[in-house]
Amino acid sequence: MANWDLQVTVEDLGPEAPPVSISVAGDLHIGGVILRIVDKTQIQKNWSDYALWWEQKKQWLLKTNWTLDKYGILADAKLFFTPQHKPIRLVLPNNCNLKINANFAGPVLRTVIDMCKILNIRHPEELSLLKPVEEKEKKRKKDKEEGVEEIYDLTGVVLSGGAPTLYNGVPAHFVDSPEKEAIYKMLSVSQPAPSPETMSKMYRPGNLIDKAQINSRWLDSSRSLMQQGILENDRLLMRFKYYSFFDLEPKYDVVRITQMYEQARWAILLEEIDCTEEEMMLFAALQYHINKLSLTSDHNHRSGNDQALEDLDSALQSLEVKMDNSLSSTEMLESITSIPELKDYLKIFRPKRLTLKGYKQCWFTFKDTSISYFKSKEESMGEPIQQMNLKGCEVAPDVNIAGQKFCIKLLIPAPDGMNEIYLRCDDEKQYSRWMAACRLASKGKTMADSSYQSEVQNILAFLTMQKKNPGTQVASDENINTHSLVSPRYQKKYKAKQLTPRILEAHQNVAQLTLMDAKIRFIQIWQSLPDFGLSYFVVRFKGCRKDEILGISNNRLIRIDLSIGDVVKTWRYNNMRQWNVNWDIRQVAIEFDGNVNIAFSCVTADCKIVHEYIGGYIFMSTRNKDQNDVLNEELFHKLTGGNEAL
Amino acid sequence: MGRKMDDIEAMFSDLLGEMDLLTQSLGVETVPPEAPLQKEVNYSIGFKDLNEWADLAAEIGEPQQSQKGHSNTLGVVPGQPSCFAPHHLRATQVGPPAATTLPPIAYSSSASPAPSFPAAPSPSPAPIVTSTPVPSQPSKPLTKEEEEAQAKADKIKLALEKLKEAKVKKLVVKVIMTDNSSKTLMVDETQTVRDILDNLFEKTHCDCNVDWCLYEENTYLQIERIFEDHDNMVECLSQWTRDSENRILFIERKDKYAVFKNPQNFYFGRKEKKEMKEKDKESLLEENFCGTSIIVPDLEGALYLKEDGKKSWKQRYFLLRASGIYYVPKGKTKTSRDLACFVQFDNVNVHYGTDYKNKYKAPTDYCFVLKHPQIQKESNYIKYLCCDDRWSLQLWVMGIRIAKYGKILYDNYRTAVQKAGLASRWSNLANVEAIASSVKTKAVPTQANGCPAQATPPVTSVSSAFSDAWKRADMSKANPAESKPAPAPPAPTMQEILPPPPPDPIMTQQECFLPPPPPDFYDLPPPPDDFSEPPPDFLPPPPPCPNAPPPPPPPLLTPAPAPVLKKVGPPPPKRTTPERSGSLHGGEQQDFMSELMKAMQKKSSK
Repeated sequence: MANWDLQVTVEDLGPEAPPVSISVAGDLHIGGVILRIVDKTQIQKNWSDYALWWEQKKQWLLKTNWTLDKYGILADAKLFFTPQHKPIRLVLPNNCNLKINANFAGPVLRTVIDMCKILNIRHPEELSLLKPVEEKEKKRKKDKEEGVEEIYDLTGVVLSGGAPTLYNGVPAHFVDSPEKEAIYKMLSVSQPAPSPETMSKMYRPGNLIDKAQINSRWLDSSRSLMQQGILENDRLLMRFKYYSFFDLEPKYDVVRITQMYEQARWAILLEEIDCTEEEMMLFAALQYHINKLSLTSDHNHRSGNDQALEDLDSALQSLEVKMDNSLSSTEMLESITSIPELKDYLKIFRPKRLTLKGYKQCWFTFKDTSISYFKSKEESMGEPIQQMNLKGCEVAPDVNIAGQKFCIKLLIPAPDGMNEIYLRCDDEKQYSRWMAACRLASKGKTMADSSYQSEVQNILAFLTMQKKNPGTQVASDENINTHSLVSPRYQKKYKAKQLTPRILEAHQNVAQLTLMDAKIRFIQIWQSLPDFGLSYFVVRFKGCRKDEILGISNNRLIRIDLSIGDVVKTWRYNNMRQWNVNWDIRQVAIEFDGNVNIAFSCVTADCKIVHEYIGGYIFMSTRNKDQNDVLNEELFHKLTGGNEAL
Repeated sequence: MGRKMDDIEAMFSDLLGEMDLLTQSLGVETVPPEAPLQKEVNYSIGFKDLNEWADLAAEIGEPQQSQKGHSNTLGVVPGQPSCFAPHHLRATQVGPPAATTLPPIAYSSSASPAPSFPAAPSPSPAPIVTSTPVPSQPSKPLTKEEEEAQAKADKIKLALEKLKEAKVKKLVVKVIMTDNSSKTLMVDETQTVRDILDNLFEKTHCDCNVDWCLYEENTYLQIERIFEDHDNMVECLSQWTRDSENRILFIERKDKYAVFKNPQNFYFGRKEKKEMKEKDKESLLEENFCGTSIIVPDLEGALYLKEDGKKSWKQRYFLLRASGIYYVPKGKTKTSRDLACFVQFDNVNVHYGTDYKNKYKAPTDYCFVLKHPQIQKESNYIKYLCCDDRWSLQLWVMGIRIAKYGKILYDNYRTAVQKAGLASRWSNLANVEAIASSVKTKAVPTQANGCPAQATPPVTSVSSAFSDAWKRADMSKANPAESKPAPAPPAPTMQEILPPPPPDPIMTQQECFLPPPPPDFYDLPPPPDDFSEPPPDFLPPPPPCPNAPPPPPPPLLTPAPAPVLKKVGPPPPKRTTPERSGSLHGGEQQDFMSELMKAMQKKSSK
């Protein structure tokens, strides 16, 4: 057999170096080619990660026992000898940049699985990679000049097979140096709130078509990064793609839940998903809560203390104190079940009365869940003017710090309706104590509840926030700007001081959550939004002349009329018989039970992406807990691969 | 210091001893030893008036007496061990505006001796007392002292627990059965509606299907609602005003768990109402109720809203979301960001409004009402809504319940299925399978709107919650409901499929042994689900029995009527000293403890 010369570019020789030329025959297998290249370069190094890339065909020559003939390689082939793993800049759901080695040779699914293993994220099949939005050349330059983004580097990490060993729940490769620990903190602790300015500069989809555009940027899971034109050090976004989160387990999923929360947070802040004002306030309150807890409880992972024990301790403590101080046995008996009380002069105003009288000063006592008031302190032993049980009442702040107005608005339910009452306090301290007591009482708790002190602190913190905000818009870690907790729409609609009381109001419902619970709650509320989990595509149905929107979610397809934005039709996967893609005319055809057939071509995205979405969701629904966490990659490719899988 | 402590200890022990003696003597005086049922009964509600006590005692005594002959289940309040001395109550009234702190006069009626604590085997009446104080200077290194301190701490723990138990509140409630007879039940604040239903199942020999519910009728507002199985009965009843004529019915309601029997009708839009394979139903439920977050059915449409204080009804476009009900403001679209919040579910319950065409000139009779549980009279804070047809009413009420309760509702249903399956299985005497306790999974309740699941906290105060439900208890001895099982309500389809009701007495014992689980909940034949054409007994509750005597006037101020007392077998469980009742009538606010102190002082001065 005749020998001929094969030109192979070896990256390690430098960009200017000419291709290495080796003499080969058609029956030489790829392994032999590689051996000869290595011989020729005379470089001593570990070449095990290197493989041949065939430029014209956009193909890796990974089967080392195949011959050149079998691959169909001739002398004109442009071959590159290059590592299979190269670094990329990965933008995580929390918008942090991470330099990480990615597999450029395997299908993207494999690449994602490998990276998730390093990042300690379970169920990598739910995530995928997106190309970033094309930035204009000018802007890119400007960004480069302006500031160097902090980039975390994880390229050094090489994992051997098997699950990584854990130290205190943290994978071993994250504990060997302070830098790595910082990276793990970035992954597992939520990021501080972005400044409103940063947020307003970021891209926000304005309508369904914009949202559909986002989905055109997904990479093909069945092909490799190299095949899709991704180069070394390119930026890629990693996101949760399939909104079907399997088996969330706070114990193992610290990074996964944190990143999911971050993705949800950005989706809310950048208005990728619509919500109502009330929902936005709750999201803001949860963010505030999570930010605060993230700052304080970085390292001290408090294992769940036994609440009952704490209660007992405090009860015993109060018992001791009482017994030391009192001689009266009646008091002593009471002390066993004693509950702190508040007593003070406050001003009261009842708008229901038809008089125009303003605030009236009275002596108030707060006992259990009830407020009583008297003409004066001296008369407090007698009958109160009124006693009100706050259980089930609505409590709202009415505060103007500049005007030194600290009012508590109470709506107290009674059999014949709600009684509206305003209590005016003198200063922040008094206000926070009474407000906290009112809040707890409205939920049927007394000041003996362990949450009382933290509630007081919360209220004080919010008041301070309000004080500092106007004027200086500094979003330091200590002082969170309420504007950075809501989407730009609400930044425009409300001033910070208008937002604060509303967020605080929503906060009282979530103030007792632990960090992880708060993140999960955020994810849950996100999931219960009506538009959650819908990925949009602009399509044209067979026989129709206008563009329409196809929404794909974990259980159904919906058809949306673009002009009015209404859902016209819903098809559920449960009724789906089969779906096909005609790759020649790029048309997706689906058959449902009862002889329902639909077909459409995709306008904004490649039909492979739509196909992969549908197949991916069907794959997600096949998962079950008995599988022992082994991902059936073959089935995934079968369902999502399309013609490449054949 | 040490001396002081000793003093306190001594006093405390003295005090408790006295209290025990007092209770014991009370018990001996009032409770005949041959009335075992009475022993279990602990009243600890703050009563305003001793006359009420007598009435109550009469009413309770009545059914119990009639029961004695053939069954001993009625009236036994489960699981309350006789308590540590008196119930130290901080009972404040919620209900009437002129609420005053009630003097807690409740005693344990039991004649049982003081509880013996394992840590203190001494038979003295108040063994805990000596150990109550804990050394406040733990710095002393002596191990002996530490040991002592430890032992003392343990005892205090016990004492606190007992105190907690002693504070359990109880109410007596009359439940109207399907045949218009009634049963009087004792409920305590630890019991959920589910517990009470189970209790009623035992007594009535009904078929125990999942549709049985406790149904609240507010006659004044003409509203009614199904009590949820997890609702705390005492808390619900505590909202009633003193003079209310509200009633509790024990009836079957097909709408109670309609969504779980035919989820497709709620989740696939109103047009596509049709049958579905059981397996598909199951997966649909799994999809909507078993994920990380439950999914509220898509529901929107024009409803009529009664304007505040006016008689006119205005149409608006409403949308249901997990976070509340919203409406589309004038000139806006129904995109999420434009929606205005109409109501959130934290503080409201959903009720059906009955006959609102007459009462409020509503466009149709398919009305529902959202109100704070404590509101019992007409008020601008009640929201009245009106649907076009019955089906859309069902969708809205069910949807709101799903949004409000979330996963809890599904858990309730599964428990109900389990109970129903149990009943039918038992009557079949079918093969006993391995027990799959998994059905009773108590997953962390997730709520759709992400708000903390509303646990039912223990009631800290009790309002004057005594309505006619029990005041009007039938005095006649021959109450059919008590002497024989209530006839099974007309449910022809159910009877065809389900086996006959189980033999009752065995049932009561079975519960301890974790009986075989239901085959699979979807194997149970679903009752007819056609809401558009409900059976005749579907909406309006049965009219009051014509034979029932008119309600007696509220016995508020009348002295305890002698005839009533005579009728009663066992005397009222509690009589206090004349001094006490005197002070009560005087309306004085006196602390129970100081009362006791007085009594002690008197005694010691003798």
